[in-house]
Amino acid sequence: MNIIGSALEHYYGQEHILRGIDIEIKAGSFTAIIGESGSGKTTLLSILSTLLNPTIGSVQFDGKTISELGNIDTFRRHNIGFVFQFHYLISYLTLRENVALAALDENLINPLLAELGIDSLAKRYSDEVSGGERQRAAIARALINRPKVVFADEPTGNLDSKNALGVYELFKRFSAEGTGFVVASHDKKLAEYADTIIEMEDGIVKSIYQR
Amino acid sequence: MITPLKALRKNRFKTALIFMSMTVSIAAIFLISAISGGVVSMYSAMLKTDGDIIVTQKGIADTFFSDINRSQMGSIAKIEGVKEVSALILGAAPVESLPIVGIYGVSENRFKSYTLTQGLSPKMGEVMLGSKIYETLKHPKSIFISKKKFGVSGVFKSKIGFEDGGVVINLEDGGVLFHKSASIFLITLSDLGKSDSLIKKINTLLPEGEAKTTDSFIDSYNQFKIIKTSSDVIGAMAFLMGILGIVSMMSMVVNDRKGEFGIMRSIGLSSRTIIVKLLSETLIIAVLAFAVAWGVSEGVLELIEHADKFQGYINGEIPFSLLCNVFVVSVTMALLGTLLPAIYAARIDPMSLIQRGGA
Ligand SMILES: Nc1ncnc2c1ncn2[C@@H]1O[C@H](COP(=O)(O)OP(=O)(O)O)[C@@H](O)[C@H]1O
Ligand SMILES: [Mg+2]
Repeated sequence: MNIIGSALEHYYGQEHILRGIDIEIKAGSFTAIIGESGSGKTTLLSILSTLLNPTIGSVQFDGKTISELGNIDTFRRHNIGFVFQFHYLISYLTLRENVALAALDENLINPLLAELGIDSLAKRYSDEVSGGERQRAAIARALINRPKVVFADEPTGNLDSKNALGVYELFKRFSAEGTGFVVASHDKKLAEYADTIIEMEDGIVKSIYQR
Repeated sequence: MITPLKALRKNRFKTALIFMSMTVSIAAIFLISAISGGVVSMYSAMLKTDGDIIVTQKGIADTFFSDINRSQMGSIAKIEGVKEVSALILGAAPVESLPIVGIYGVSENRFKSYTLTQGLSPKMGEVMLGSKIYETLKHPKSIFISKKKFGVSGVFKSKIGFEDGGVVINLEDGGVLFHKSASIFLITLSDLGKSDSLIKKINTLLPEGEAKTTDSFIDSYNQFKIIKTSSDVIGAMAFLMGILGIVSMMSMVVNDRKGEFGIMRSIGLSSRTIIVKLLSETLIIAVLAFAVAWGVSEGVLELIEHADKFQGYINGEIPFSLLCNVFVVSVTMALLGTLLPAIYAARIDPMSLIQRGGA
């Protein structure tokens, strides 16, 4: 799914945060949005992922604006996965049940858990596994419906560097299989894994680098 | 089904609070309805015993104040289609140490409607005691009603609490005690289909009296309406209290679980799914609370029924119809109480998950 943001500007109240951004996320690409804290990465990612409406400008998904997408829940369920800084696993459900909550096809759960190396933990609860394993379960939940694109905001913010690199590796692996990734992070290491690197500074795109 | 149970178990403290507040509300509704219903049904049953038609003083608000001339009994009995006429004086007076006891002065032909377990029906100056009051007073040989002494001639058993805890005397003795001729006539008919024309005849014969079928008397009896209205009002307040309890607890639950509902929205689960999820959680609690409240209420009613203090006059029961009504009320309570918090939960913006991330 091609995502195009045109003339995006965003205000929080009086504060002008995004100050004119034109951007294209190519279908299946692994895009990193990097930049200092406060540069507007999260705001941009939220706008590109349907969670936030820009104050000015528009976003198109394969040529359709948000209002043309139909039911936004259905659209998200079939096309978009989310990974947040916090795992947001539901604590009273096992890892498998957390993934099942999102799954359109339950047959895909076990193979996916195996692929992510957490199949042996399927029946555990989130407080019974490590931080890295929790984030893998959250990634499984994001990937279960084979979304066209996964948005991740600071997905490694709560992980040590070893687990962080593990997460980037996973993204790269799934990206090679055709899933698009848009990942915002202030961690410069992310850039080594992405094929498109968007550098933000002060609410504008400072540079775009394609590998 | 499994998921809501897991959610309830996870949040067991708040689940327990919701459960308790619902149980208390539902039990209150059960008890007030059962007790008021019991009063009405006991008194109705008493009037319906050998009474197809009831005659009271015209325009009287309470049978206790009714006064009609007992000498009219004979002329009513002669009307064709009338099988039997009996007269009653309904009164209340202190008996021994009990401050208020139901006293029933009845015409002789009515003694047969009491099932004696020992002794004989009373002659003048004698009483027949209900088995409950007979036990409470520890098998007395004689009793004082107000300041007048009566010998005990026999004991009867009645399912009607007002009677079983009451005293039956002769109509004439009752007349002296309560300074009236008779409170009501109870009339049995040989053909119920003719009741309308008979009522007309009785009403012309007794211009100061008012005849009605016992059923329509019970339907329109003001005292019953007052009891019923008060019980409905108290029941409605218990219902509202229950709803408020659920709303406040569920709002806290939703607040605790914001992340959960936010993530559901980001996954693409619809608002309806989230609302249904929360509703099914409280519905489970409601069904449990209903069952427990039912059990507790039956227990409390049993205790009240056998407590000497109430002399058997409070005799509530929970008929099937009340059970069904209260079940519907419980479910409605849960649904109404959960709806607002659930709608709020369904509107949680997934953006809140991102913003919590900071950096
Ligand atoms: N909901 C909000 N209300 C007001 N200001 C906000 C809000 N979210 C972010 N900001 C501000 O917007 C700027 C950019 O924030 P953000 O997009 O989160 O940047 P980044 O993710 O690069 O740290 C920051 O100065 C931040 O304080
Ligand atoms: Mg950010």
